[in-house]
Amino acid sequence: MNTKTKRHLLWLALVAIVVAAFAWVFVPVWTIQPFKAQTPGGVSLSYTLRSWSTLVTPVALALAALLVVVLWRGTRWWMKVALVLLLVPAVAATWFAQQNHFEWMFKPLAQSAYVAADKVDFVGDDEMVLAVEVNGDAVAYPVRQLAYHHVVEDTVGGLPVVSTY
Amino acid sequence: MSDGRRLKFHLTGINNQNFIMADEETGTWWQQVSGEAIHGPLKGRRLNGVFHDELTFATWRRERPQGRVLRPSEDNDAWRKFSERWEEQTAKLPVVTQAAAQDTLAPRAVVMGVNLNGASKAYPLEAVERQSPLVDKVGGVPLLVVLGEDKKSVRAFETTVDGRALEFYVKADAGGGGAWRMFDGETRSEWDFTGRAVAGALAGRQLKKIPLLKDYWFDWKLYNPQTLVYAFNAP
Repeated sequence: MNTKTKRHLLWLALVAIVVAAFAWVFVPVWTIQPFKAQTPGGVSLSYTLRSWSTLVTPVALALAALLVVVLWRGTRWWMKVALVLLLVPAVAATWFAQQNHFEWMFKPLAQSAYVAADKVDFVGDDEMVLAVEVNGDAVAYPVRQLAYHHVVEDTVGGLPVVSTY
Repeated sequence: MSDGRRLKFHLTGINNQNFIMADEETGTWWQQVSGEAIHGPLKGRRLNGVFHDELTFATWRRERPQGRVLRPSEDNDAWRKFSERWEEQTAKLPVVTQAAAQDTLAPRAVVMGVNLNGASKAYPLEAVERQSPLVDKVGGVPLLVVLGEDKKSVRAFETTVDGRALEFYVKADAGGGGAWRMFDGETRSEWDFTGRAVAGALAGRQLKKIPLLKDYWFDWKLYNPQTLVYAFNAP
């Protein structure tokens, strides 16, 4: 194989790796959109991609960076620019794989805290609450808060409970 | 909690407008409405449902003055802005699942769902508001769906006491100064909104509470495809 063909193949590999890393992260984002219908197959594929993405994306980024180093020498300046630009989506995918973008909009409660019922001034009489009681421990989760956080962790009467809405 | 292990959950996605949560410990994905693990190492498991009520704050506080209430987050105010009109806003959102031709309810009609002995039934909130108390039977169990004094809180009870199904009525003078009460046609005992008899021959007895899930019709139907719908005549 002559050098030129070899370099072409390396370029091809680089582009393929970058596209794959990007798709690995953004296919689930596309599939699991709030106002789009999901199919069981789409959710299943998203689960598989997402559960491997924190591992796959750094490996892909490392491989891509290696190829950039190999291709760097003897490349004209505008091809060097292209090499750097190709790394951008790979870096973006690697960073995004570490994020939970659903929690960007709906920030979780780091630590849930509670106020005695007779001291509460932040819930209107007419507002709905989700109420549970275990072993005499009665708790009200205002729906307004649950609708935002979606998930609130608590221990009620000794029982670990997650309240969801 | 699953198998004695405590899991920590995060919002991680959405599946036809019902959210998916993931636990930190195993990465398993759980469907919010059912508590069922749909993907991952714990797939097929189901979180134990804890009985819950959906009540107005005033009603809850009257019943549980010693209770505690979740305090709003102090380090972020995003929830406040989001939640100001979340119910109206959500009601306007499009629905992505297919509506069936025979559906009598709009996709975002709010229903109170009951699951008993493998049978499921949806009580449109509008029906409860208009016709409370609703007397019905699900999975062979005679039950009562009743709207509280605040006209927003809804509860369901089994109506069988000592082997006989009682008929319930809401006292006509409710709201006229006296406390809200139901009475049963058989013994004329008086019952409060918690399902406890407070006067009459059955005083001290407690009706068995039936879990209700307040849900949008499209979502209830998706997870309970065999559901029946309580028929009522909207004027």
